[in-house]
Amino acid sequence: MRSTQKKVLTKVHVLFLVQSCLIGTGILQLPQKLSSMGYSQAFMPILFSIIATITLWPMILLNSKFPTNNLFQINEILLGKIIGKFFNFLLVLLFTIICIDSISSYMLLIQSTALPEQTITLPVICFLALLVYLVRGGIFAIARFSILTFFITIPMVLFTKWAIQKGEFSHFFPLFNFTFQEFYEATKNGYLSFLGYELILFYYPFIIQQKSAFKYATIGIWISGVLMLITTGVSVMYFSEWQLSNIEFAVLNIFKAGEYSFIERIDIIGMTLWIFLVYSTVALYLWAANEGFKSLILAKSQIHLYILVIAIFIALIIPLSQHLKEKIFTINNYVFYLLLLWPIFLSIIYFFRKKQVQQ
Amino acid sequence: MKNRLLLIFLLLFVTGCSEQEKKIPIEEVDMIGIMAFDYVDEKTKKLTVAIPQYSPDAKKDTKIFSTETDLVSQGIVKIEASSDRKVVLNQLRVILVSEEFARKGQVRTVIEHIYRNAEVGNKALIAVVKDRAEGILYAEYPDKPNINFYLNDLLLPSLNTAFNPNTNIHDFIYGTTNTTKDASAPYLELLGDRIEIANIALFKDDVMVDTIPPNEAIFIQALQGRKNLAPLVIDIPDDTKVLLNLVKSKSKIESNKDRNYPKLTIHLEIKATLSEYSIEDTEKLNSWKEISDLEKSINQQLEKDIKAFVEKLNKKQVDPIGLSEYFRKYTHGKWTREMTDEILDKLEVDIHVKTIIVSTGTLK
Repeated sequence: MRSTQKKVLTKVHVLFLVQSCLIGTGILQLPQKLSSMGYSQAFMPILFSIIATITLWPMILLNSKFPTNNLFQINEILLGKIIGKFFNFLLVLLFTIICIDSISSYMLLIQSTALPEQTITLPVICFLALLVYLVRGGIFAIARFSILTFFITIPMVLFTKWAIQKGEFSHFFPLFNFTFQEFYEATKNGYLSFLGYELILFYYPFIIQQKSAFKYATIGIWISGVLMLITTGVSVMYFSEWQLSNIEFAVLNIFKAGEYSFIERIDIIGMTLWIFLVYSTVALYLWAANEGFKSLILAKSQIHLYILVIAIFIALIIPLSQHLKEKIFTINNYVFYLLLLWPIFLSIIYFFRKKQVQQ
Repeated sequence: MKNRLLLIFLLLFVTGCSEQEKKIPIEEVDMIGIMAFDYVDEKTKKLTVAIPQYSPDAKKDTKIFSTETDLVSQGIVKIEASSDRKVVLNQLRVILVSEEFARKGQVRTVIEHIYRNAEVGNKALIAVVKDRAEGILYAEYPDKPNINFYLNDLLLPSLNTAFNPNTNIHDFIYGTTNTTKDASAPYLELLGDRIEIANIALFKDDVMVDTIPPNEAIFIQALQGRKNLAPLVIDIPDDTKVLLNLVKSKSKIESNKDRNYPKLTIHLEIKATLSEYSIEDTEKLNSWKEISDLEKSINQQLEKDIKAFVEKLNKKQVDPIGLSEYFRKYTHGKWTREMTDEILDKLEVDIHVKTIIVSTGTLK
């Protein structure tokens, strides 16, 4: 199997792994998440891209010290077996919840628009079956899938054309029209859509040209940044402030402005194509969770993936209230911010324990 | 290999476990094409829907149902009870509201409900009806195929030459929720066996406040920067009447950025062909000099007309053009509706029109 071979990812793979994982379901809700800033949200993705580039650097730095280990192994090396394993367990839990979050928000979308009179059990089973297939292909298959995703979904940018024609350019002004409180609120909610690049901590050992990893990951971040900039920019032009804060899936509403004589509802096409983006995100997170799970127990068995998928399935099916789910997802998301600081923390420990570790 | 086969079998069996999800075939679905809302009292409204009938045996091509309800979806459920099929909103094309309904400010709640409904696209058109909205659905149109198509075609932006102030769900929500712009919608009138777009209804927030005639509404579109406009009739004193076919228009609005003494300078450039004119002395238009004289008098007249129009709107404190946006975009901090009203109260406009007649037809 390919996944057991070390070093399979080329530079292009790295670029698209980073790029595709950034755009999941998050971008659909990005304008709403940033809506506390009103019209001034348009340029936030640029700021986010800068933050992402800066926080990527310590990750790569840490990885370059351990070129053959992923973060799970690094945790164990630097923090000791027991504490390391404990944190690995948390990470696995974190990634599983993020998979559940992404799938459930996409299924909610499908439920409320395409299949209003049907339960989502069957779609979820189909989705998970294909997901298992993809993740079993290993990081190499996921990387190739990400490239495919990019080229299949990028034409959707063209669907924004009508909204741009109708929109009002003057909404962009005045620039920087927000208070610090609004800015903080928007950053807190919006940056979550920008996560996904941190998974490079886990697939770094598979990269062939590790020296250029930072460069290509950065390119990936900025491609996504530009796409998100287009999304927020078009939303700001097309919507009023009330609409920005009240419309859940702004992107789909932008697609609704489309006018072809032969297609009435372009948003439906957009929504169905979106599944590629959801797959590329969820597959990568599930793959990482699976790797972590393996590092905890029974390293050689294949059963971990199935356990994870069944857990995800049960979590999706059990009738939890939307409110409780949201609470769990929000807590989970804030923990993610810690993950961004984790490499810095580990780097400090590495600095102190350098000699011990190198022995 | 064995594992995979097992998985496939399992999947097949699991599908058997899922509950019977019977999709209703399309022939057994009634698709609402037009919804009409009439005012009953504060809480209740009368909902009338038109559903196209495709059965060849049916004598009438449209089914019409009426019910009184306080919630839109409840009304649909009631209609479903009297219809022989499942009623869906997927094909909704036109939403009519009566003038009374609009003036009582109830349109927004209805449109918002439909906006939320994912079944409906955002391109369903909205129009206000004089008298009762249901009247339009119940009237007979012997020379028209079907009220569903007729109304939709009437309200759709057909050619660029015909004036059409069409407003769809997105436009309406955008207009009513925007603090620097007000919504407008076509105002229909039933004239015997035909429907006419008689006026344009103006909204302030979500209440209809007034109507304006179509020839004035062209100014709204011109000032909003729309490039293609309907033919413009200009009445110049001393017995000249000119009809201009507009080729292209361009508008540029500059504000003085001062909220205490708001002033806008509007430059409007119109390129047009002179398609018809009635001048006492027809010899007048023989040379380009005379044409440029005519251009000048058109400019003066248009400047006067537009100025009067904008002042009329300002007096009523409605802003369908979005003029206050030119002040919002220079103002830091939150913009409220009160600020828009304040601006409109004091607003002064300075209008410069430049007309260019590019051709006068093939006759000299």
